[in-house]
Amino acid sequence: MGLNIEVHGLKLTYGAQPVLEDTTFTVERGDSVALLGANGAGKSTLLRCISRILKPTAGHILLDDQEIARLDSKEAARMMAVVPQETAADFDFSVEDIVMMGRFPYLKRFQKEDQNDREIVRRSMEMTGVTHLADRSIATLSGGEKQRVIMARAVCQQPQALLLDEPTANLDIGYQSMLLELAARLNREQKVTVIAAIHDINLAVHHFNRFILLAGGRVMAAGRAEEVITPENIQKSYGVPASTYRHPLHGVLQVSVVRGRNPDEKNNCGSEVHVIGGGEEAMPVFEMLNQSGCGLTVGPVSAQDSGCRFAHFHSLPVIIVPPFTSMNGAHRKEHLEQMRNADLVVVPPIPFGEGNLPIFDEVRVILKEGKPVYIIDLDGVEKRDYSGKARSLLEQMIQEGAVVLKSVEDLKAVITPGGGEQNE
Amino acid sequence: MGGLVLLIIMTMIGAMVFGAVLIGWRNVFIILSDTLPFASPSAAIEISPTHEDILLQIRLPRVLLAAAVGSSLAVSGAVFQGLFRNPMADPFVIGISSGAALGAVFAMLSGFSLAVGGFGAVPLFAFGGGIGTILVVYNMARVGQAVPVMTLLLAGIAASAFLSALVSLLTYFAGERLHMVVFWMMGGLGGATWQQVQVMVPYALSGYICVSLFSRELNAMLLGEETASHLGVNTERVKKILLVGASLLVAAAVSTSGIIGFVGLVVPHFVRLVAGPDHRFLLPASALLGGALLIATDTLARVVIAPSELPVGIITSLIGAPIFVYLLKKRKQLRYFGGGG
Repeated sequence: MGLNIEVHGLKLTYGAQPVLEDTTFTVERGDSVALLGANGAGKSTLLRCISRILKPTAGHILLDDQEIARLDSKEAARMMAVVPQETAADFDFSVEDIVMMGRFPYLKRFQKEDQNDREIVRRSMEMTGVTHLADRSIATLSGGEKQRVIMARAVCQQPQALLLDEPTANLDIGYQSMLLELAARLNREQKVTVIAAIHDINLAVHHFNRFILLAGGRVMAAGRAEEVITPENIQKSYGVPASTYRHPLHGVLQVSVVRGRNPDEKNNCGSEVHVIGGGEEAMPVFEMLNQSGCGLTVGPVSAQDSGCRFAHFHSLPVIIVPPFTSMNGAHRKEHLEQMRNADLVVVPPIPFGEGNLPIFDEVRVILKEGKPVYIIDLDGVEKRDYSGKARSLLEQMIQEGAVVLKSVEDLKAVITPGGGEQNE
Repeated sequence: MGGLVLLIIMTMIGAMVFGAVLIGWRNVFIILSDTLPFASPSAAIEISPTHEDILLQIRLPRVLLAAAVGSSLAVSGAVFQGLFRNPMADPFVIGISSGAALGAVFAMLSGFSLAVGGFGAVPLFAFGGGIGTILVVYNMARVGQAVPVMTLLLAGIAASAFLSALVSLLTYFAGERLHMVVFWMMGGLGGATWQQVQVMVPYALSGYICVSLFSRELNAMLLGEETASHLGVNTERVKKILLVGASLLVAAAVSTSGIIGFVGLVVPHFVRLVAGPDHRFLLPASALLGGALLIATDTLARVVIAPSELPVGIITSLIGAPIFVYLLKKRKQLRYFGGGG
């Protein structure tokens, strides 16, 4: 089982507009490939060329070295099955009827479905979990159920290659991974070659082992997730700044779109702001300040900290200390300098521990010098305090003039002129 | 299916009993069995030779012709509805009837006395008009090798409108032949001959066999052409075959009996409502039910104002429409044609 799919120099134009331009790639027997790319990059068009709906203007598509244009319709349907984004189901066919249609390419004109066909239908429905729907009318099913029935029909075709054209576009996240997992299972257990056009990159990385990124009808990158899904490639093909990271729970590569500075808001905030520390809960503070166009400095943070990644991504000045160590004299001096250069200093909701408490010696120094210091979310400090001393320390600072803000929104009101900046 | 076979046989017998002259059903059986070879003439009951003539020369061919025309219309209606995936489609949707009407009206007004193989000018011109229209519409809709059904439907509607206007124009100048034209357009089976039966029945049968060979393909095409193609249906080829098959059926029906509405639209719907959309059942069931319906309505058309008769097209619509509406109401959850879930 499994089919080798070779696409060579494919070209297709709608009118004068080229949709595919010299598209070339090879999908090895038993690969499972996610076809990525922006809207209009040619993903669906490419799949529709492979499934013989569209005739390319030039180029070749070979299934196991056979030119697809030369294949007989039924022969082609025995080799590959297609799961489209949506299937018309206005008719009262039962689920079993629909799945049985997958046997069409195996039946001769006067041949009736036999026991063997019925057995394959039964197994296909079982595998996709639609057995209980067998007698229901397809028109009464939900989108997720319907798509699983279509998957059952594709399985029933016993193909060597499975093409999926944005099969999860209309499904909720539960059905999305269920459907792609079915494809992955066919790939694992029966070595069916899978090619799926897919929008959700973060979903795709879970279920596929190779990736082809299309842009303007050409292959921009192909290979493993790490090779294809890079911020540069995403920026080039989708036109948005993005960052990639490993998911904290399972370590799978993930992509997230990052908003750059909003140029219109540039003048909203002329202040230089220094933010102390990092960590998950501090990130909304970083994002808001950066969006508002403030001059931003970060530190001190460890190299693995999200605050550090943020600073690097946006090329902001940052003080980095090695993980699991306390700060040395040089760091502390640099930090003090940074705070002095800022118009105001923010203490976001960071975790407090013995390691970072010494930072606040310098904070109190600049507080005494009259620099505005804002502490965000004082009420939640106990949850983030691993030293037991944070509450009293912060209260001391409040005594010395630090201002408490409830949330990021309050900070935004402070730094933007419309919100009434409090210069003390 | 067995029930439908029984139904069409019963309507046939009923149609032979009733008419301007009532012939008892026993006598119908005797007359019919006497025509069979090797049957010994049953002398027990005296049959009037007039009755025998009425039955064998007038009613029997008319009943068989009604069956053939009704079946052809219903089957082609089912095929067009499936092909276009559109519940509004009927045998006349792509302009065959308008083309046929133009041919027929032209023949009537020009008074051609042409006759080929015993057929008058009117059916010949009607047939030619219908087939000519379908060829034009097909070529208008063609894009390279492919014929998108939506374009075909629209081209058909455009052609239909244009041809109907021409028919109206001709009708306007019809003068004393106006009555003839109007009567033809309302459809009827009056004056059916054995000769017509000999042509129409085998023709309808072969047309039916041609389209019913592709029942499974039609099922797949209901899910959309792309899906059908993914399942291994050579859609362009199947479309052409079905289009040709169904069009020939319609052209033949129209040229024999004029434009009989409603049968082709409603019978397939009726069957789908009761038995679902599977064409392997839908096509034969539509053929039987369409035949039975036209026999029954034609009998009514002969009887209600006997000895004169109504155009059968009026009866089919008068009776068919309320029955259909009743069914729609009764089956509240109508899902088989884009009714939603």
